Amino acid sequence: MDSKLYLAENVLNERRPVTYRLLSRALKVHANRAKQILFEFHRNENAKKPQTVHATYVISGIQKAPEPAPTNGHADDEDEMMQSSPYLPSSMPNQDAASDSIRTTSIVLAREEDLEDAKSTFQSISTIHVYSLQPTALPDLNVLVDANREIASTHGQEDPLECGKQWGMIQNRNVKRRTGARPPPPAAPAVKPPAAKASKPSTESTVPAKRPLQKETSSVKTEATKPDEPKSEPSSAANSQAPSKPSGKAAAPKQKGNLFSSFAKAKPKTKASAPAEPAAPSAGDVVLDDASEEEAEELFPDSTAKAAAETRENRKEREERLKKMMDDDDDDEADDEEMPDADEEPREPTPVEQPPPPKPAELKEEVTVQGGRRRGKRQVMKKKTVKDEEGYLVTREEATWESFSEDEPVPKKKPAVNVPKAKAGKAAGQGNIMSFFGKK
Amino acid sequence: MAPDAENYTFLCPPSEEEQEQEPVYRTPSHYNPRLTFHLPAGAGRHYQQQYDDMYFLRLAKLKPSVEQVAMDAWDGLIIAGEKVRRVDRVLDVRQGELCWVAGTVYMHLPMKPNILEDLSKENFTSAPPPRRTYTDPSDPSLTQIMMEDESGRLRLTGNFLQSTQLATGAVIAALGTENANGDFEVIDIKLPDLAPQLQRWEGNAPENGIEIAGKEHGKIAFVSGLGITGTSSDTLALELLTDYLLGYTGFSGNSDNSPSLGPSKISRLVIAGNSLGASVIQDIASTSSGDAAGKKAQPKKYGYDASAYNAAPITQLDNFLAEILPSIPVTLMPGEKDPANFSLPQQGIHRTMFPQARAYSAPPTRGDEKPEAGWFDSVTNPWDGDVEGWRLWGCSGQNVDDVLRYISIEGGDSSPDKDTDSDSRMRIMEAMLRWRCGVPTAPDTIWSYPYQSEDPYVIESCPHIFFAGNQPQFKTATIEGDVPLRLDGDTEMVGATDGSDAARVRLLALPKFNETGELILVDTETLEVEVVRFGVFKGQEEQK
Repeated sequence: MDSKLYLAENVLNERRPVTYRLLSRALKVHANRAKQILFEFHRNENAKKPQTVHATYVISGIQKAPEPAPTNGHADDEDEMMQSSPYLPSSMPNQDAASDSIRTTSIVLAREEDLEDAKSTFQSISTIHVYSLQPTALPDLNVLVDANREIASTHGQEDPLECGKQWGMIQNRNVKRRTGARPPPPAAPAVKPPAAKASKPSTESTVPAKRPLQKETSSVKTEATKPDEPKSEPSSAANSQAPSKPSGKAAAPKQKGNLFSSFAKAKPKTKASAPAEPAAPSAGDVVLDDASEEEAEELFPDSTAKAAAETRENRKEREERLKKMMDDDDDDEADDEEMPDADEEPREPTPVEQPPPPKPAELKEEVTVQGGRRRGKRQVMKKKTVKDEEGYLVTREEATWESFSEDEPVPKKKPAVNVPKAKAGKAAGQGNIMSFFGKK
Repeated sequence: MAPDAENYTFLCPPSEEEQEQEPVYRTPSHYNPRLTFHLPAGAGRHYQQQYDDMYFLRLAKLKPSVEQVAMDAWDGLIIAGEKVRRVDRVLDVRQGELCWVAGTVYMHLPMKPNILEDLSKENFTSAPPPRRTYTDPSDPSLTQIMMEDESGRLRLTGNFLQSTQLATGAVIAALGTENANGDFEVIDIKLPDLAPQLQRWEGNAPENGIEIAGKEHGKIAFVSGLGITGTSSDTLALELLTDYLLGYTGFSGNSDNSPSLGPSKISRLVIAGNSLGASVIQDIASTSSGDAAGKKAQPKKYGYDASAYNAAPITQLDNFLAEILPSIPVTLMPGEKDPANFSLPQQGIHRTMFPQARAYSAPPTRGDEKPEAGWFDSVTNPWDGDVEGWRLWGCSGQNVDDVLRYISIEGGDSSPDKDTDSDSRMRIMEAMLRWRCGVPTAPDTIWSYPYQSEDPYVIESCPHIFFAGNQPQFKTATIEGDVPLRLDGDTEMVGATDGSDAARVRLLALPKFNETGELILVDTETLEVEVVRFGVFKGQEEQK
């Protein structure tokens, strides 16, 4: 973009202050050139029509010693050798007596109107340059800070390691940056960049990659854990109403976004019969630094990806089987009415609002290891009995979160047992499951 | 002055063709932080121990040194026909006998916070309110100085103590005699004096034998008390500082008129505490106390509560760090007001506080691995380490502030003269080095981790640069260790030959940046100091 156009647009039309650094970022020019551009624009515009553009200047140099304390002040900063201190009389024999005064450089920002005054406080001036241009004289120079914040918000994405040379930044050959953790945009510091973007071969290849993040594998793993989840819950699927099953598949991709973080920490469940066991040691033997949220992903062995592939075909047939069972379940609801609630589950006569939105029947666990103790949350299926509009009692399972610690034993879910039972006798099967969940 | 405005490089229109600017490269930094004050994480950190161990360890470590010094000075000394005798334990001092003994100083001051008092009043929950001094200027007699070791305590008296200044925790040797009251009349005092000092590069020789020769003058930059509050009022000087450090301000580093000004010579920035402003704490305090009743009614919220937590200061600090880190390595020490633990040694501010700057920090360590020094190094307070071969020992200022409270300030409550104040701060810093103890008043009046097997505050190797952050005013001095007097009296020779052997320490009292706008640069070859001051010129209308 043309520099004059840019300045005219911002300073004259939008009446915003423009600092040389903002200009340097916006036009991608060297900072020193940006200062000259500002100077030229200032001179030309004011030649056309005085007082259209106001400038602030930065003066660098050595200020006169007896300064009237414009900014702050200690009058003398002499490298004063300490005279023998009264309280340490025995130990002060060798003070070198040279008392050289300390060189003090000042870098002062001044308004155009105060420039001459400011200059007069200097003993010698090394440089003066235009700091910013604005349409009116600034009563408060702190407004310029906002202009610089704009740099962070609009040009924050540019990598300083690459563009720094262009801007005239002092280069450092030894800079170490971890390429894995690309700094998030300042506007939304909490949002992590999506996995796919982060795993892209990063452009800053000049920087030695300290610790490439294994985002790629972790995203595969989140996929991998997904197909396994229905497997661990055949019992819940068998008991829940028909709509929940088909949605289990449909809702999965949608859920992935919301629960992305929890999947990253969730244990891959490879075995349905003992869901928590294989994962526990993998998380338990590495004591997580509380700092290392990125490292959490590295904890997962790559084997889960393989496991996922073979379970995928199992899933299809299981799904079909489940669908059949759920057809049966539809009649069950009538039976439920007569069935005495023999369990400990308190009956909740809350009125039913709506048939609840289809819920994916996925049980998840979030485990964090802190100081050698395992804590976390897991999703469990809880029975809830409610009366629907027609007065029927409907028992349905809902996924709820509960927290647990290592002190509690990991509850054993025996999903496989329920499948034949449900087929053999529905009422009996129903009772069994209820007592199973009730006892917990 | 307008005519010569054209002489300045930047006050001219840009040349037509955009010439390629020569990139400026920064002087590399040789950096080796030490983990003296690094506490074990998590379960390895215990708070059940008694503090007694620290005093015991300090005395055990420093007693041989101070006894050596005292022995050299007092052995065979005869005063008034009586030979001076050495006594091993404080309790072995006999009345009327001229002797010397070594032990730890304990000062009983009227205004000193007393944990037993707090406990009996049941207000042991919060930190004691800060006091300007622990002494009672109206009644100096309330101050009692004692010397203790593992056997017992001995009260010290005598006019000599009026002229000397001590603080709890210092290990000294005192010469004198016990009077009829059972008090020890002190005639003279010896300190351990400066610890042995390593030669430059002795702490960490560069691995691949990089040029050690001082052909290139580099700089180490120190700043403290950035005091970022997140409001726009405090950041203009910070912007100027950023511009300067990144080289935008205009000193190209190779320009002839200002050879020493080149910011490209600055190889490292050390931020010594209090990077965040006080108002963060005040805001929270006022909101929590102001509508305490209203708070109670609300349901209790856990975690992030936007109404009580203002993220702007730390975000601003993060932006600042992320801006300068591509060009300059940073060592960040926490301070009193920073989000770190309160008791010394403060552990580094956690990297998750810096979502942008953390990319430059070292990867997190697992287990007992030695952490790697990061480009952005969030270190402990106090901290020591080797920078450009020099050993640095620094604190964010709590140590100096606290010892200052032990010193009775003349003139009562009126605020002391600025110069005498900063002079006494310099003397305290010197005294710490001569006591060989960087934080003598921990764990007495500075909260401290209860160390059990070591006392890291003992300075075993004398640093070359000893700095304290957040002081009211910039001040620097050079001190030298004692050179043993030669009996032949050839003083010129002494100066010539021992000049290099004697320990030389550069003391730096770093000013608060948010008050003074000052950045301190130390030359890596000569340890000379210069100041760069950032500020805004107040216009005439503002000055009036």
